[in-house]
Amino acid sequence: MAESGDAPVDKPVQVKLVLLGEAAVGKSSVVMRFVQNDFSENKEPTIGAAFLTQKCRLEDRVLRYEIWDTAGQERFHSLAPMYYRNAQAAVVVYDITKASSLEKAKSWVKELQRQANPNIVIALVGNKLDLVQSPAAAGAAPAGEEAEDEEADDATATPGEGGEQPLPEPEQEGESLRQVPKDEAAAYAQEAGLLFAETSAKTGEGVVEVFTEIAKKIPIEHILASTRGGSGSRAGGAQARPNVTLQEGQQPAGGKACNC
Amino acid sequence: MTTISAQFRNYREPTKDEGIREFFNAHPAGPDDIPPTGKDVTEISAVMSLKGEDQSYSGRLYLMPPFLAFVSLDRKSARFTLPLYTIRRVEKVNSRAGMFELSLVLWHQMKINVQLTSLRPTADSFCAQLRDALKAQLPQMKKLRPFIRVCYSEHLIKQDGEEYIDAEDDVKDGLEDGVDETIKEAQTEFLGGLGLTFKFPGDPKKLREKSKLKLWKEYLRTHGRNVTLVRYPSVQRLIQVGLPNRLRGDLWETLSGSVYLRFANQGVYEGILAKHKGETSTSTEDIEKDLNRSLPEYRAYQTEIGIGTLRRVLTAYSWKNREVGYCQAMNILVAAILIYMSEEQAFWLLEVLCNRLLPGYYSPSMHGTLLDQRVFESLVSRCLPIISDHFHTVDVQLSVASLPWFLSLYINSMPMIFAFRIVDCFFAMGPKVLFQIGLAILKINGEKLLEIQDDGGFIHLMRDYFNTLGDSAHPHASDSRMRAITNFQELLVVAFREFSVITDDTITSERKRHRNEIVSGIESFTKRAAVRNLKESGAFKKEQLGAIYDTLYKAICAVSASGSGASALAALETTDAQGRPETRIDLKTFRIFLSNVATWARDESIVSNAFVERIDRTVAEHELINRIFFFWDVSHRGALSFQDIVTGLNGVMFNDLMSNIEWFFTLHDKDKDGFLTRDDVLQLSESLLFIFRNEIGDAYLGTVSNFMTNAFEYGDALQPENNEKAEVPEGERAPEPPTNTPYLNLATFRMVVLADELLESFFDTDFSATFKLDIYPGPESPSESTGLIAGIGGLLSNLITDENKKTLNRFADEFGKSIGRHQVTYRPAIGKVDRDMALQEPKTRESLLSPQIRDRSMSSGSLTSGASSTSLAASTSEPLTPGLLPPQLPTIPALPERTPFAIDEVQDDDEDEEDEDDLVVTGGDETLDERSLTSLFKVDAFLQENA
Repeated sequence: MAESGDAPVDKPVQVKLVLLGEAAVGKSSVVMRFVQNDFSENKEPTIGAAFLTQKCRLEDRVLRYEIWDTAGQERFHSLAPMYYRNAQAAVVVYDITKASSLEKAKSWVKELQRQANPNIVIALVGNKLDLVQSPAAAGAAPAGEEAEDEEADDATATPGEGGEQPLPEPEQEGESLRQVPKDEAAAYAQEAGLLFAETSAKTGEGVVEVFTEIAKKIPIEHILASTRGGSGSRAGGAQARPNVTLQEGQQPAGGKACNC
Repeated sequence: MTTISAQFRNYREPTKDEGIREFFNAHPAGPDDIPPTGKDVTEISAVMSLKGEDQSYSGRLYLMPPFLAFVSLDRKSARFTLPLYTIRRVEKVNSRAGMFELSLVLWHQMKINVQLTSLRPTADSFCAQLRDALKAQLPQMKKLRPFIRVCYSEHLIKQDGEEYIDAEDDVKDGLEDGVDETIKEAQTEFLGGLGLTFKFPGDPKKLREKSKLKLWKEYLRTHGRNVTLVRYPSVQRLIQVGLPNRLRGDLWETLSGSVYLRFANQGVYEGILAKHKGETSTSTEDIEKDLNRSLPEYRAYQTEIGIGTLRRVLTAYSWKNREVGYCQAMNILVAAILIYMSEEQAFWLLEVLCNRLLPGYYSPSMHGTLLDQRVFESLVSRCLPIISDHFHTVDVQLSVASLPWFLSLYINSMPMIFAFRIVDCFFAMGPKVLFQIGLAILKINGEKLLEIQDDGGFIHLMRDYFNTLGDSAHPHASDSRMRAITNFQELLVVAFREFSVITDDTITSERKRHRNEIVSGIESFTKRAAVRNLKESGAFKKEQLGAIYDTLYKAICAVSASGSGASALAALETTDAQGRPETRIDLKTFRIFLSNVATWARDESIVSNAFVERIDRTVAEHELINRIFFFWDVSHRGALSFQDIVTGLNGVMFNDLMSNIEWFFTLHDKDKDGFLTRDDVLQLSESLLFIFRNEIGDAYLGTVSNFMTNAFEYGDALQPENNEKAEVPEGERAPEPPTNTPYLNLATFRMVVLADELLESFFDTDFSATFKLDIYPGPESPSESTGLIAGIGGLLSNLITDENKKTLNRFADEFGKSIGRHQVTYRPAIGKVDRDMALQEPKTRESLLSPQIRDRSMSSGSLTSGASSTSLAASTSEPLTPGLLPPQLPTIPALPERTPFAIDEVQDDDEDEEDEDDLVVTGGDETLDERSLTSLFKVDAFLQENA
């Protein structure tokens, strides 16, 4: 790899991130939105796992996400450890219109907390927000704890050359499709020490912010230290690193969104 | 609990015959083709030559109905697999003296000569068998013509206008001929894939389609085609340069052997589709999600035609092979092969892929995939140690890149035109091709691979390489011919030249070497996940949950192993409330499970013979166990999940006295109305008897009999109509109350139980203690033996398997019997009662009724005489010490020998005591035998009376 040579000052920090979640909750679409700012209905299926990279600038640091987008079908479950080992971050996705997908997400979280890198930063993401939004609601700032969403929205609201800019379907009764109340998922995330957001890969809402929030949590200094210390030792996790508090509200709201 | 496939745990190495069939793709297509007994495959040394070819090959000829197959000694130069129904004529050629030569004329008019080089009698017997087998297959020949006519290979040959099917003259069956002849000319229809309509991938000019087709046409004309292809060395080269698109489907079918399956199962595909029309399953739902993302860049899959084709094949297969169902990656495979073949052809090719070529790849546990990844890793470390070491150093896992290679036959990794050429070789030469290509990829990129630092770098490097497969491998070479060599050609050369050491045998032995590792890996993973995913784990600790899981798993394995093949499914794959796959067990498996958890759910006999003492364990069957099964089946599915079992055990293993009593009560309260009926009380008593069946002595028997008497006495006394019945004159029996009305409530039941010391102790601690989660060590029972025999035993146990262990045991038993040292004793379930106590008189009953009620019920002619029983209690409650035993008591060598259910055997002897007033034990000076008979009789009488 080009980056693997000597380290210039702003050499991007590599962060391994894994996406997990039930089949068809939109894992691949979330990544696609993040990496290519694009959305397509017919994604190539994920065999084992797809691998993508995306750089992400956060204040003075540049992160290079190495994203493993895993297959969602249940029988691929036993392959997942291969992908989440050594991961510094995980995005566990569920579908807010399908209650069972949150259950699956919870079991992924449990598994990660027990089996993965002990300091892994986990974000719980409820996808398909577009399906439950009336057009009016879509524009409004999300309520409550995620005040920073509003600013971040600007970053995502400017789509790339894609020009697709899909509008949320005018569904007044949209909320009725929702099966997972936001409060409930947020409460669980809080309790389990996870970042939490609701997103729409289709409209792009909230997607980039998830990765920005993760970037803020990642113990970058530690990663740098361990990479320098020898490539084999990354698996361990951070002994020296002070415990990171994983609560949402504490983040400086002004963090620059990813410059993708 | 996530799914468990016991099948791969019970994996058995293929027999030699199966191995041979595997090599030739010559699997019997249906149960009819399997010979009922005896040897499946007959083989003989032979020299084979084909008319028109100069070269003849010596090798082995195999007869394995319905096939005749040959392979040259080097196992690659020449081979054929001929269905017997394609052999039109067999003649014995009398050439030189002492030579035994057969001349075979095939459907496609080729003439094969085989010289049997074995001794005369062997050759004779082979011929006789061949003749019989040919006769048996004769009826199949009728189906051949219509089947072959639509093969593209026939069409290709026919294009020349040659009269190619001379065979028709011989096999005229009259039936269809009249119609046939007329439409034959107009018949241009042949089987083919979407490519015929939507174009094949790649540029036909660049692929040199025309010249390839021409070469194949020549080859097929002289060497047979579709079902009769004879492979000579030139065919290898033709395959390696890539099959022509139009012929590809036809040849895939032939090379993989799926064509034989299609021939033998005509109409099955359509039948499955028709049968399951409109049905859905989790597989069909999964299929729907992926239909639009299977090779979406190919034009056909942007249309309803292509999507529909794909949907039908995947769906039909998910119905055919429910164990596999649908696995992501199958969509890509099927989408790819459908470009070249018709739906039915693809369906049978998929069958061959899932069952034989990629075994276990797409199963729910994906064990085949994991195993082959492990094998690949091991081959890399053997063949490319430097790369392997570097991967270890930088902690890069090979599988992150190589897993999709194998899972989708490189179709998802490389540009399609290249991937299909690998698939060509794969169908022709088998799974080793995947490994050879994988190794070659790594070798070619060796230098760059040594620079990568992480998984990401590895993936990128591979991606870049695959994107340049069409580029020149030597762009700066001065020789233009060198420059023309592409990276892909170089890849094939490296794969087949430098890694020709990787043979089928290598793969087989590597798979064997790593299988256990993979199996235990998957098992521990599944176990961890299952335990983690429990919603309720009750009072159990994690290790205990693990033990429950292990026991359950063992039960599933035991049932699958004992069952006849795949038809006996021990575990039912269903879906849980969230629609996730889940393993549930049926009653049969549950019995085995419980027998390993609860001491009373098994019969353990200690068998001692002259050599060793061993414990034989059998699974008990009783209504009680069924009752518990349905009691725990809270979702009424007729099957229990891991969660059901954990919750169920939790409800009984940690109980105190009162909750155990309640548990037992509820278990037997059939309609859950809070009352036991008379039937229920009887059932409950039977359950108790069942639990106590192997206890030593009669204490428990007496206890149960007392319990029943008390329960009925009390129950009767509490019946509202009892007062009216008081009018019934003495001596006459009151009419029995109906057996199915509410009779005994929990409070009464509790009282009856607490009146008996032994029952109280049973419900207090003993019952819960019969559940033990430490795992039974399996068939290796602790054997105690001494001296020389112990030494031999130790040696033996290393050598013997379960099966011959049984034989050995039987032999030892026989021997032990012959020298009079064979002894069988049953192990008690509770085992609390020791020998001293066993010899005790069962306690006689004290009526629980208060004096008033008792008077009333006695006057109403109720069952027992309270006075006599109390007086007897006084006289018998003194424990008898062994020293005071009457001399006629049998001496007890180890543990008294008794059958589990003595009741039935003794009842006849006591017919004259049918009078119910005599039911009380009447004296302390009887022998032990008589006493036990009496109390047995008491129980028996009650059962009869109340049943």
